[in-house]
Amino acid sequence: MAEPSLRRFRPTASAPWDEVRAAHLLNRAGFGGPPEEVRRLVALGPDGAVEELLGYERVPEAFPPPDYSELGRLAEEAEALRRAGADEAARRALAQRIGRAQREALQATREWWVARMVQTRRPLQEKMVLFWHGLLVSGFPEVRNPVLLYQQNELFRRMALGNFKALILAISRDPAMLTYLDNASNRKGRPNENYARELLELFTMGIGHYTEQDVKEAARAFTGWTFRGTEFVFNRAQHDDGVKTFLGRTGPLDGTDIIDIIFEQPATARFLPRRLFEFFAGYRPPDGLVEELARTFRAVDFEVGPLVRTILRSEAFYAPQALRAQVKSPAQLVIGTARLLGVGPEAARALTLAMDLMGQALLIPPHVGGWPSGEGWITTSTILVRYNFAGLLTNGQMPGVPRRAAGGLRPVEVAGLLDGAETAGEAVAALTRRFLPGAALDRKRTFALLRALGANRPTDPVRLTPQRVRTALHLILSMPEYQLC
Amino acid sequence: MPHGMTRREFVKKGLTMVAVGATAPSFLTRTALAMTNPWDLAEVQSRPGVPDQRILVVVQLGGGNDGLNTVVPFADDAYYRARPTLAVPQKDVLRLTDGLGLHPALVRLKALYDQGAAAVVQGVGYPNPSRSHFRSMEIWHTADPEGRVVRYGWIGRYFDSQCPVCDQPTVGVNVGPTLPLAMRAASGQGVTLESPETFQWMPSFEGIGRQEQVELFRLLNAPAPNEPGTIDFLRHTAMNAYVSAEQVRAAVARYRGGTGYPNSHFAASLRLIAQMIAGGLPTRVYYAHMTGFDTHAAQRGVHERLLAELAEGVEAFYRDLRAQGNADRVLTLAFSEFGRRVAENGSAGTDHGTAAPIFLFGPAVKGGLYGQHPSLTDLTDGDLKHAIDFRSVYATVLERWLGADPVKILGAPFGRVPFI
Repeated sequence: MAEPSLRRFRPTASAPWDEVRAAHLLNRAGFGGPPEEVRRLVALGPDGAVEELLGYERVPEAFPPPDYSELGRLAEEAEALRRAGADEAARRALAQRIGRAQREALQATREWWVARMVQTRRPLQEKMVLFWHGLLVSGFPEVRNPVLLYQQNELFRRMALGNFKALILAISRDPAMLTYLDNASNRKGRPNENYARELLELFTMGIGHYTEQDVKEAARAFTGWTFRGTEFVFNRAQHDDGVKTFLGRTGPLDGTDIIDIIFEQPATARFLPRRLFEFFAGYRPPDGLVEELARTFRAVDFEVGPLVRTILRSEAFYAPQALRAQVKSPAQLVIGTARLLGVGPEAARALTLAMDLMGQALLIPPHVGGWPSGEGWITTSTILVRYNFAGLLTNGQMPGVPRRAAGGLRPVEVAGLLDGAETAGEAVAALTRRFLPGAALDRKRTFALLRALGANRPTDPVRLTPQRVRTALHLILSMPEYQLC
Repeated sequence: MPHGMTRREFVKKGLTMVAVGATAPSFLTRTALAMTNPWDLAEVQSRPGVPDQRILVVVQLGGGNDGLNTVVPFADDAYYRARPTLAVPQKDVLRLTDGLGLHPALVRLKALYDQGAAAVVQGVGYPNPSRSHFRSMEIWHTADPEGRVVRYGWIGRYFDSQCPVCDQPTVGVNVGPTLPLAMRAASGQGVTLESPETFQWMPSFEGIGRQEQVELFRLLNAPAPNEPGTIDFLRHTAMNAYVSAEQVRAAVARYRGGTGYPNSHFAASLRLIAQMIAGGLPTRVYYAHMTGFDTHAAQRGVHERLLAELAEGVEAFYRDLRAQGNADRVLTLAFSEFGRRVAENGSAGTDHGTAAPIFLFGPAVKGGLYGQHPSLTDLTDGDLKHAIDFRSVYATVLERWLGADPVKILGAPFGRVPFI
């Protein structure tokens, strides 16, 4: 296999710009889509397709935010109660109502986000929001107020392809993050190391490029960075303005200086390019390729857009080890299937629960390290859940999803899925084109799908009922091949 | 599996070799090729069981449990100086000795301790400790602080060392979202599940009949030779899952008991494990998880709740096991990736630290305290010095409980801690 390269991908006879490669781009830079969307990208050519995805600002999009008015009302009630000097019992009762309202609002926020991913016309922007949520991690239950998580989600959307250094500064001042990693209570004299450590280890440089002393000194520099309500506040009285030494630099450093120094480190220029390459291309980049990306990243002063453009236009992105080789994350699987089948936002609750069962509970990450990736998503438990997701779409039932949560789902509309096939063989071909683009099925497996449609030979005329098509769909979604994109 | 090998060749060599390739599970490669019908449950279940009936349950306390507030040195002034807001008051400590006691939330553990069914190994750690959650957890899982590239866990390597006797995926069962690195084996054993309800494949209720769908499902998921790594991994995992799901669901259906568990996620995991034990699953190692121990701020209430959850869960588990008559067969080991800094921070919490106690439970342990409590004044960078390497705890469990050769699994000789 040739060494993957960042040279611009140019279609050749053996690697044409076709529906398989356009579907690959749409899957990785978004959540995939039906054949008509794929064909549109084919028509644009490889560079045009990438520009179309990157230039999402041109596409108008408006999603009204979730409704947090109940939380506002309860906060006012709490304030009134406090002023009236209400007794312990009354205050506890209200605290319970607030807790319940927060959990409901959290669920509403999660479903709002899922509905947005299902409907968006800016797939790359939403894909980046998901990426940032998995890298710069915050979540419930550490953050109890869902308004803060929503605000952070909007920050990721606003800066999706913006400047990485600016984003790191913004996330260091973000109330959800200040809560999640406790910097809100990081005070002079007895600093709290939580944020400083993860900033270095997980957000910007990676383990091995700093010492324990650097963590302690960075923690001092971030003292006093806190928030009030939903706004960042610098609390001068709690800030340690003494001299610190961080990565060899000495002075009365504050958080902004720490971020400046972090972005002077070679490790930082390599860190995000490596993560983004793995996210999009789905495999570990060789060191030489990372170095090249790091040079690009520094040359554009840590702008993420140009970095993503370089990756998506490269030969490496279309290399054989990239195509159909990435295990779909639960979000990719669930959102992608919904988009392929034209499932609407009314299914958001069921889709969100299905993702939870597959191990990707949006806004409730397992820990600050974020989500698994690749084969890490697949266990004996999750593979069955992923297969059973088919049942949710075909007959509204999935083990682990309560019936009332699946209430909004109608059995999926299958009439349009067969592209006017007249024989069973054509029907199987239409289904595999749509659901498994680029996958090679052997005769045994093709036969199994014919049988699912109730046929014995490819030439059998189509005598399909929607029930049979849904059963075939159920089996296709229960295939290892469908877990990859 | 190696390309181009015939079934006959594979059967001949297969039993002594471990799988090639990152994750190719040999159980299925082996059985898939050795058995006439790889999906035949009767054939899987008739394979030789485990001769020795002992079971290990590993409990992971994720996030870094504050060892100092778990086993409290209540006679040491240095403790109260370092913890002005978080120290457990002397009068509340559940005394074990004149100087040491348990956090009051551990009252149920104290009961086990008093019965001689709990051991505490103090000051456990490893050289040059990492204060990164991820690196330190990896070290505990691989038993490899030197950072050699170890892809398999200490329990996984134990599975590998026992094969082909433990020739079933359910030799290791994790209750949780992802299979822990500790259980990852070259031979691919180890099953993970969250609940019996979701651990099944459900066919469509319409179209062609259920039986034919199941056959087609098996055909579509059957491993095939010469396939690239990831798709092969998916097929094997699917097959492992399908076969184990039937076993697990059957085992769980055999025992409905297990009352009196508290209402927590952790207790539910232990209850499920007790059901699987009662149901006769051929499992040597179970794995359960608690999370939330990363108490950087407002630690008091959170830590108290977590310790109570741990103690009440373990106590209910052993009550259940005693009622089943299985308690003597089950040893439980509870560990965390690190302890916490001796001095509290300004957020009424504690930052990442080093050495901490390990707990062992079960009628089989020799109850009591092992090792010395680490000094609170002789510190390295504000952190405790470890006295007992965690690998001696592993070595003890491997040799004296599981009957395996610890040197083979851990790669070097370590001492024993006489809790068994």
